[in-house]
Amino acid sequence: MNKTDLLIIGAGAAGISAACAAWDAGCRSIVLTDRLDSPGGILRQCVHEGFGLAEFGAELTGPAYADRLSERLSCTGVLFLPGREVLALTKEKTAVLSGSGGIEQVGFKRLILASGCREKTIGSLPVAGPRPAGIFTAGQAQEMINLCHWDLGSNIVILGSGDLGMILARRFTLEGKRVVSLVEQNKRYGGMARNYRRCIEAYQIPIRYRRTIRELHGMPRLTGVTVENLESGEREKLPCDTLVTAIGLIPERELIRGLEKEEWLSLAGNCKKVHDLADSAAAEGAALGRQIGEQLAKGNTA
Amino acid sequence: MKDFDAVVIGGGLLGCFAARNLRRWNLHIALLEAREDICTGISRANTAIVYPGYDHKPGTLKAEMCLRANAGFAALCRELDVDFHRCGSLMVSFGENADMVLQKKYENGLIMGVPGLRLLSGQEAREIEPVLAQGISSALYAPGTGTVNPWKLGIAACENAAANGAEIFLNTRVQGISRTSEGYRIEACGEAFSCRAVVNCAGLFSDRIQELLFPAAVRIAPNAADYLVLDRAAGVRPSHIIQYEPEDGGKGFNAVPTAEGSLLLGPSERENEADFAVSTEGLSFVCEGARRVLPGLDLMQTIRSFAAVRPNPRGKDGRSIGSFVIEHPGPGFWSFIGIKTPGLTCAEELGAYAAERIAAELHAEHNPDFDPLRPGIPCVRNLPLPERAALVRENPDFGEVICRCEDVTKAEVLEAIRRGAVSVDGVKRRVGTGMGRCQGSRCTRAILELLSGELNVPVASVRKDGPGSEILEGAHE
Repeated sequence: MNKTDLLIIGAGAAGISAACAAWDAGCRSIVLTDRLDSPGGILRQCVHEGFGLAEFGAELTGPAYADRLSERLSCTGVLFLPGREVLALTKEKTAVLSGSGGIEQVGFKRLILASGCREKTIGSLPVAGPRPAGIFTAGQAQEMINLCHWDLGSNIVILGSGDLGMILARRFTLEGKRVVSLVEQNKRYGGMARNYRRCIEAYQIPIRYRRTIRELHGMPRLTGVTVENLESGEREKLPCDTLVTAIGLIPERELIRGLEKEEWLSLAGNCKKVHDLADSAAAEGAALGRQIGEQLAKGNTA
Repeated sequence: MKDFDAVVIGGGLLGCFAARNLRRWNLHIALLEAREDICTGISRANTAIVYPGYDHKPGTLKAEMCLRANAGFAALCRELDVDFHRCGSLMVSFGENADMVLQKKYENGLIMGVPGLRLLSGQEAREIEPVLAQGISSALYAPGTGTVNPWKLGIAACENAAANGAEIFLNTRVQGISRTSEGYRIEACGEAFSCRAVVNCAGLFSDRIQELLFPAAVRIAPNAADYLVLDRAAGVRPSHIIQYEPEDGGKGFNAVPTAEGSLLLGPSERENEADFAVSTEGLSFVCEGARRVLPGLDLMQTIRSFAAVRPNPRGKDGRSIGSFVIEHPGPGFWSFIGIKTPGLTCAEELGAYAAERIAAELHAEHNPDFDPLRPGIPCVRNLPLPERAALVRENPDFGEVICRCEDVTKAEVLEAIRRGAVSVDGVKRRVGTGMGRCQGSRCTRAILELLSGELNVPVASVRKDGPGSEILEGAHE
């Protein structure tokens, strides 16, 4: 079994920042692992600008921000284990990793979980109708459009007007697709004002407020959605071939189920709480990494 | 013209088991499925319960088959390498009327010889199932009830039939049947099949298939039903199948802790609907039942809702027929029309029933080479770590997790495709990808790429399930 002082799960903004900060604090035994083959996590699919303002004084794209973080990581002695899924954590402070190279166990003194979040899906909503092709979550759509260069559809309805929903609306528009409407249950858009201005106002994309989706239409491919006005109860059918759901993020903590109270465990980034900005997830990771790094460095010299 | 001894029409659960059982005899068998994959009609959605058999009138075929099938279910699943959880069931009541119903079922079960049945008080029921609601007046406990994944079972039977020499024809919709001097001639998508015997297992279309040649005495009235699936992390989780017998005699409700670990709630029931579309009212009905019986359930942990369709047989007078309808309108021609609950439980029994009768009619000999064993796709999630590590050493693809929620690896997905999955849902039905809490949002990309690569088709032509369900509109390769 491999052993390390500090194991960090997830090489996104929070995980990389935690690793670098722990190194800078004097901890010399750090393993950072990620399921993807290169560091950066979800940043790699966020091709829009708006990252790194706090840290690098420039508005970077997600991949550029990830590159900066990765460069910083490569200047440390942190051992990066890419292409590994963490299968399990035990009370005995071991992690079981699975990759094409084999199943490995890594023992640790401290653990930082920086596993990000997952998306809520349409399945969690009481929506009537068939279950056709043409329904994506926002993150999934972003991955398919930006990393794979795939076309998802031509006429798109987006459920939810958080940052992800608004950014995707612009992305679809730039790809030459028609965003039929965003559908938002509240009276105001969900994301930051900056994204509303840049993504929605600038491209004159319609948002329907105080509405939600009640029914899907079409089989085998989506042909429309029925939208209900939450105040009047009035219903409207919006023809579309694609529905993207941007209805919320859930911190990804399945790995630590039953271990939440272990004192060796700390959380950073979106798995702790969903941050508006990657920069603040990174800052949280850095602060935690520094603190744990110092403790571990002290413990080893004492 | 393709020549067979017997042709099975329909590749649902029943058709797959009919084909498997026909190969126990020295018969040349074809199975014709209209769609691009098997188990994509009625079989793709149901309550997944293997019933103990206390519900049916003693002496009827349904009662006998269900009892026998339940007793042999674990052995069947061992042969076919499919997970079967004999978790037992508790049917609960909240008052005198429903207590009576339970009492009758209990007495009926005793006459039938259903093993281990016990009638419990509400308190006794809560002792063995603490998540049950207060106020339960009685419970019928059946230790033999179990749960199995219906698609996995059907697909396993089909693979076993094929391994034993049955020929499977997909995308082969039957359009005409005629009599010949030897037996029958079946026209399907420009192909002709001649045979001496036919097993009509066409599910929702079985009445129409029979009418291609014979009058059908019964018609199928499809009923739709709604279900909810809760994440395996949903907190309160019963360890038994919970069934609810309402005091007003209305439609009951089931909560099934599935073999995959999720919790299946349902069904609601709606008449004369056949389109697999979910109804909001149906979902509300299911939620109300869940709250009544399992008040601690966190319904916010719902990860999916779906609709099922059942073939409800009705006689000429329009009345619903409770028993299995098995017709024999001509020599060698057997029709399963309107096989609903407990069709999943009895699939092997029904298949054997058809096979035995056809073998007798055709004077067939036993097939000494029939091998009942079907090796499943290795499921790493269920393996102890050293065995899992050994698999990865053998094949690195077993190390690469594709579906994080259900812990399914690249090797399993590739094997699903090699065994016949041609769509994202086809992979799902074989290895369970996308059935977990993220509902495929994190693995669909990888599965699209694997399907595209293995089937050597552009990624934009990969489908969710069947023609017209392409997931993408295009791709800039």
